[in-house]
Amino acid sequence: MEKVNSREARWVGLMRAAQQGDRAAYHSLLFELAPFIRGAIGRRWGRFEGIEDLVQDVLLSMHSVRHTYDPQRPFTPWLMAIARHRMADNARRYVRKVRNEVNVDEWPETFSAHEPNYLDEGPGDVQSLREAIAKLPVGQRQAVEMLKLQEMSLKGASAASGQSVAALKVAMHRALKALRAALGEERQG
Amino acid sequence: MRTNVLIQRLSDQTTPVRRLPPPLRRLVLWLGIAAPSVMIMVAVMSPRPDLIEKLGESRYLLEQGAAVVTALTAAFAAFSAGVPGRPRWPLLLPLAPLALWLGSLGQGCLSNWLSLGPEGLTLQPDWMCLPAIALTGAVPAIAITVMIRRGAPLLPRATVALAALAAAALGNVGLRLFHPQDASLMVLVWQFGSVMLLTTVGCCFGRLLLRWRPIRA
Repeated sequence: MEKVNSREARWVGLMRAAQQGDRAAYHSLLFELAPFIRGAIGRRWGRFEGIEDLVQDVLLSMHSVRHTYDPQRPFTPWLMAIARHRMADNARRYVRKVRNEVNVDEWPETFSAHEPNYLDEGPGDVQSLREAIAKLPVGQRQAVEMLKLQEMSLKGASAASGQSVAALKVAMHRALKALRAALGEERQG
Repeated sequence: MRTNVLIQRLSDQTTPVRRLPPPLRRLVLWLGIAAPSVMIMVAVMSPRPDLIEKLGESRYLLEQGAAVVTALTAAFAAFSAGVPGRPRWPLLLPLAPLALWLGSLGQGCLSNWLSLGPEGLTLQPDWMCLPAIALTGAVPAIAITVMIRRGAPLLPRATVALAALAAAALGNVGLRLFHPQDASLMVLVWQFGSVMLLTTVGCCFGRLLLRWRPIRA
């Protein structure tokens, strides 16, 4: 009991000094309060992953209203009122988040067509795509390589290839059409 | 960010703060702003011609007294609510004068009904009450809003509702000094109702007005 009283008296003194702008006193106070707050949260909710975020939230909240502390009154009830409020606020936020979250092991199908739902197949057959690109006429292949594979801008690709922007657009359009046809035939075949 | 880093940053940026005075001193300060503004409003609207006569009526004095005490206790409660660690019982303080005010109006309605029958409970439109209470209580409302925003937003809805109740009750006291309307049912519906409506509106805006200030650490 005596230990608690001396701690309380020390915190009151440190807070009084901190309110007058004493940085060292404030640092000591916050340094002593962090484990105290951590313990209070732990006693209420047990240990959990985000406990440090909550401790920091309480410290920040305390900092923002430190002018509301009256050194004539005990310090711990003042601190715990803030801590309890922040804990309740965080609990409410957590419940709101959990209420709107749905945990699923596997995403359900999202489209009526079969193809988009084959998630396990990854991005498709890369080798076939590579071969289909290789079979394209030079201008179209160049457009695909620059605009899609190297992700160059139309302007940049035009400067690099010497083709006009309009010509690149036409070449890209034709290349995509040809690729779609080639890959489609392959899948059907 | 690690907690130790946060502690270092917070202590590095700490500056001297102006302590929040105790709720009672803040109440006196608020009253120093609110009471003159209500009096100015009464003077501008010109006091009711029968005011001296009304000041001798016990029912009028009881209702006005209850409204004043409601305003004072509600303001005290609003100021207390913003100080962490203070007891919560002051939040219930306004209930007693509010019950007395409501009881007096209810008793007035009952005696009107007993003496005059259904005619004693005639309700007519009196649309000026709500805007007049809001206008008379405007300066007290602005003053108390600025003052409660200095406190901690522990109970934002209750705090703003209590602040609105304080300002509206004081506005109603002012209204009854210049608006000659004393029929209990009329006062109950249009004046007490307006005070309750403004309190409810205040409650709805609680979370908007009182928030934790973001700190850059």
